[in-house]
Amino acid sequence: MAGKSGREISAVPEGGLKEKLLTWEGALVLIFVAVNILGMIISPVYNATNVLREMPKYLAEAFMVFGMGYILVLGDIDISVGSIVCLSATMACFAGNAGMPFVLVALVCILTGLVCGLINGIIASRFTELPTMIITLGTQIIFRGIAEVSLGSGGSISMNNTDGLSAIASKIGPFPISFFILVIAAVVFITILAKTTFGRKLYAIGSNQTAAKYAGIDVQGIRCLCFTLLGCLSGVSALFLLSTLYGANTTTGNGFEMEVIAMCVFGGIATTGGKGNLIGGFIAAFIIFCLKIALGQRNINTQLILVIIGMMLILSVVIPAISAAIPKKKKLK
Amino acid sequence: MNVAEDLILELKGITKIFPGVKALNNVQFQLRRGEVHALMGENGAGKSTFIKVITGVHNAEEGQMYLNGKEVHFKGPLDAQEAGIAAVYQHPTSYPELSVTENIFMGHETVKGGIIQWREMNEKAQELLDSLDADFKATDEVGALSVAQQQMTEIAKALSSNAQIFILDEPTAALTANESEKLYGIVDKLREDGKSVIFISHRFEDMYRLASRVTVFRDSQYIGTYDVDGISNADLIKAMVGREITDMYPKEKIELGKEIFRIEGMSRTGFFKDVSLNVRAGEIVGLTGLVGAGRTETIESVCGITKPDAGKVYLEGKELNIKKPEDAMKAGIILLPEDRQKQGLILSWGLGRNVTLPIQDELASNGFNDEKKERELSKERLEEVDTKAVTIFQPASSLSGGNQQKVVVAKALAQSNMKVVIMDEPTKGIDVGAKKEIYEIMGQLAKKGYGIIMISSEMPEIIGMSDRVYVMRNGRVSGCLDRSEVTQERILELSMEQGSSGNGGKTA
Amino acid sequence: MKKKSILQTLTGSREMSLVAVLVVLLIVIEIMSPSFLSPTNVSQIFRNNALTMLMALGMLCVMLTAGIDISITSTLAFAGMTIGMLQKHDVIHNTFLLFVIGVVIGIACGLLNGIIIAKAKVAPIICTMGFMYIWRGMAYVISGNTWASGADVAGFSDFGKEGSAGPYIILIAAYVIFFVFMKWTRFGRKIYAVGSNAEAARISGIDVDKTVISVYTIMGLLAGLAGVLSVSIYASAQPNMQYGKEMDVIAACVIGGVSMSGGRGSVTGTFLGALIIAIIAKALPLVGIDSIAQNLVKGIIILAVVILNVITQRMMDHQNLVRREM
Repeated sequence: MAGKSGREISAVPEGGLKEKLLTWEGALVLIFVAVNILGMIISPVYNATNVLREMPKYLAEAFMVFGMGYILVLGDIDISVGSIVCLSATMACFAGNAGMPFVLVALVCILTGLVCGLINGIIASRFTELPTMIITLGTQIIFRGIAEVSLGSGGSISMNNTDGLSAIASKIGPFPISFFILVIAAVVFITILAKTTFGRKLYAIGSNQTAAKYAGIDVQGIRCLCFTLLGCLSGVSALFLLSTLYGANTTTGNGFEMEVIAMCVFGGIATTGGKGNLIGGFIAAFIIFCLKIALGQRNINTQLILVIIGMMLILSVVIPAISAAIPKKKKLK
Repeated sequence: MNVAEDLILELKGITKIFPGVKALNNVQFQLRRGEVHALMGENGAGKSTFIKVITGVHNAEEGQMYLNGKEVHFKGPLDAQEAGIAAVYQHPTSYPELSVTENIFMGHETVKGGIIQWREMNEKAQELLDSLDADFKATDEVGALSVAQQQMTEIAKALSSNAQIFILDEPTAALTANESEKLYGIVDKLREDGKSVIFISHRFEDMYRLASRVTVFRDSQYIGTYDVDGISNADLIKAMVGREITDMYPKEKIELGKEIFRIEGMSRTGFFKDVSLNVRAGEIVGLTGLVGAGRTETIESVCGITKPDAGKVYLEGKELNIKKPEDAMKAGIILLPEDRQKQGLILSWGLGRNVTLPIQDELASNGFNDEKKERELSKERLEEVDTKAVTIFQPASSLSGGNQQKVVVAKALAQSNMKVVIMDEPTKGIDVGAKKEIYEIMGQLAKKGYGIIMISSEMPEIIGMSDRVYVMRNGRVSGCLDRSEVTQERILELSMEQGSSGNGGKTA
Repeated sequence: MKKKSILQTLTGSREMSLVAVLVVLLIVIEIMSPSFLSPTNVSQIFRNNALTMLMALGMLCVMLTAGIDISITSTLAFAGMTIGMLQKHDVIHNTFLLFVIGVVIGIACGLLNGIIIAKAKVAPIICTMGFMYIWRGMAYVISGNTWASGADVAGFSDFGKEGSAGPYIILIAAYVIFFVFMKWTRFGRKIYAVGSNAEAARISGIDVDKTVISVYTIMGLLAGLAGVLSVSIYASAQPNMQYGKEMDVIAACVIGGVSMSGGRGSVTGTFLGALIIAIIAKALPLVGIDSIAQNLVKGIIILAVVILNVITQRMMDHQNLVRREM
């Protein structure tokens, strides 16, 4: 039944293959290829085998990208994840050294993260007046503070029994186990965000929280859930990090929060909420890993990587802003 | 034409182009010294853009502007202010965290040797407020004031700049009847002082009460300037809409069914107390009262948006336990919220996704969105309410206010379990043509046997569309009028506080 | 006019409630450790926290415009490392000149932030995160994996060494200037206006972009100054100096009542916020809490203050509602 004017409204999706390729994700794939070519040029030992061998210590961080992506889509932010990694890793070491079986150690690690995330989530959903930046700034200091207190004056702990950790650090073919888990996690998290009603709700909340509430979406429940999820993933990150470090200290995970946020933003997720997808974040993470490996192999001052990450981050947000401004001016003339 | 007309402001051949749209197309305007001139037209007719050209916020591509006979070019808002043009915008453009004094003097503070003279400014501001008979202090924080008080601050600000031309953009939109009356007084005083005033309003009452002439814009074009005394309401509407509108309120006589919806003893501290009302199938129930009387707050508690302290909600005789918005929607109570841009729509989203947002879970299979089903359903519903749109993928922000409201209606219609529709100010800020369409939809819904509650501050639509009218005053239901006994006077009487000269919506 | 209740006076003005907290805090500490308020202790508190206190002024300006700057300690490190290296390689030893160089570097860094945020409309946290990496990386790059030791900066470090009045003079001067600047000058009020309502500010003829750029430039200036001061006070320059301390600066502002959504905050509040954090850090060991628990306590206090603030605000709102007659 059409309205009285009989006007038809089109429901045919627009955009062909060309538009799909011209997205930011398409550009990221090109950058990824470029970084690998660059790696091969500057470093003679940059090849698949070597990259995969060095990959595990970086892969751990990537798990948090999914949770952080969700949080950013919601329009929130969580700068406590680095501290959660530190606390989770510390607790896991204590559990391991107390003689617990590895399954329990892993559980302690992930549960610690989950509890931390839950705390963030509860505060964020109960005290909606507070920006999550402030809340997680507070918990960032607290979580690391707890780790510092439990680590005592030594400030570090090593895992005595490393059998379990070696097991999850082992490889299938040339690929580390964590790589497979990460890819499976990526597929799951990307699909949930892009294709399910839950994902749509995240975008709704990030775009207009009030309208989402009026549309019957449990805004605070979902926010709390996503913070918990990110905490949980930070625990997973901590576990895989342990499998390469075999211990923890007060600086474990320092700066992870910013790196993870940087990966998401570089991947096209806006910190203002409601925009972007995880595919970009996932590719961006690998771009940064490969860059780190390549520069590391060449023994180039490893801190130069900071300058490069920073520049990529800035360019990735400035270029769209400039290109959006240019066609407008043309149209006016 | 009178050649010796004393024009303080004249604009000729103004054209303003935004990327892709001609917002103003060769329009003209003349303002006499000391006159109050109304500027009317439907939303999107270009009034606000025109005002912004006068105040220097926008630069016109073509056209000339003459001030006191001399051609002027404003590069920015400061130029206009210095030339004696002051604007009071629809939504007070104030600084909520700062004091009244500071709001008044922002940009032209009293400075000696680089140091701001706060005491002197506070005194000056207080004098201005006293001259306007204001009931607040210059040192108060603006964010803590009521909308009417904030608007008064804006007017004081305009006065402080010694402006000769005052532009008021929908000044009465957010005001109660009493507050509007106070504003009329201020405008009268400005005219007596020889100032010239341009004001934009959708309310005919404002125009009749204040203006001597009215200029009408339509579709970005100048239609004409008329003497207020010499033009009939119908002719004016015709000029604004471009066609004649007959029978504004298409209210049909419908056989009412059983009681479908009832609320009993709803209370929430500080907002409303002991509110009870009921709705029958096919009935349109009006809910009115002054702004701040607690209408919206009551309904929001009914729908689970906020938590009431007490009260029961019955649907078809069964008591509901509503804890969150979802519960109300699942039961079939659908709210069309007051602020469609903030509460009703996600402006950056396509129309289709907006329509299916509340029901995506029902359409989905195993938690996965069924995009095809969503597209078909949203297309159907949007066409049903005759939305002026090209595709369901265009963002909601690209539509006019009236069409945005239609999307909100389509969103409600998409919820197939709907039994009761609650429309909060469904025609607020939308133009005459779209208003009528919304009324028609309302009539159709009533015919289909839904129960309808319409919250509105606009007397004509309350009287025109309602079967029964509940009036609220200061958080309580002060009376219920049947269609046969509804008159403007009765509603006003029930809205105002008895025995006081009326400071209705004001809080201590 | 109704008289305000004590609760209203205390919660109504953030400064008043902070003073109350401070007084209670000092009394408790003084009872537990009677020597706490000795001149040596007090001067140490200021000296050890001079950098945070200095940068908090800039962060106040940035946060007033609803922005944030997390690149400040990287700017600090870049400026500090530069003047450290200039001395290490015996290029310049003139204290005044070194100050100028450090400050100019800071201004340049801040200006860049400001231009990108104002002109390209990039979210402040993202832009400054980018430069957080860049300037920290640059500090490492110019250091060439070395650091400037006490011997390298001898002479220059006299300015900030224990007992020198230098850092105090800078700190006091900065606070006096900002106190006047923020409250009694047009430019200061423009910052408030932009943060309170940027659209209205534009209509009142305020150049919003210019104000935003200036604010980040001021922040950069103070960060550069803090960099120079840091080298002087600690008599060394390392590329990782003050790593992560930007959060302390933000925390000081937040405790001091500066709103993250802009438009609200004062120099006095910022000072009190920074002072409270500083005093707690200093007092913990004196009242028998292991210094290892310092961060834990600090975090709990930050969270408690912001949550308490929300709760008292809600209580006041509720009281106002109850008072409404129906």
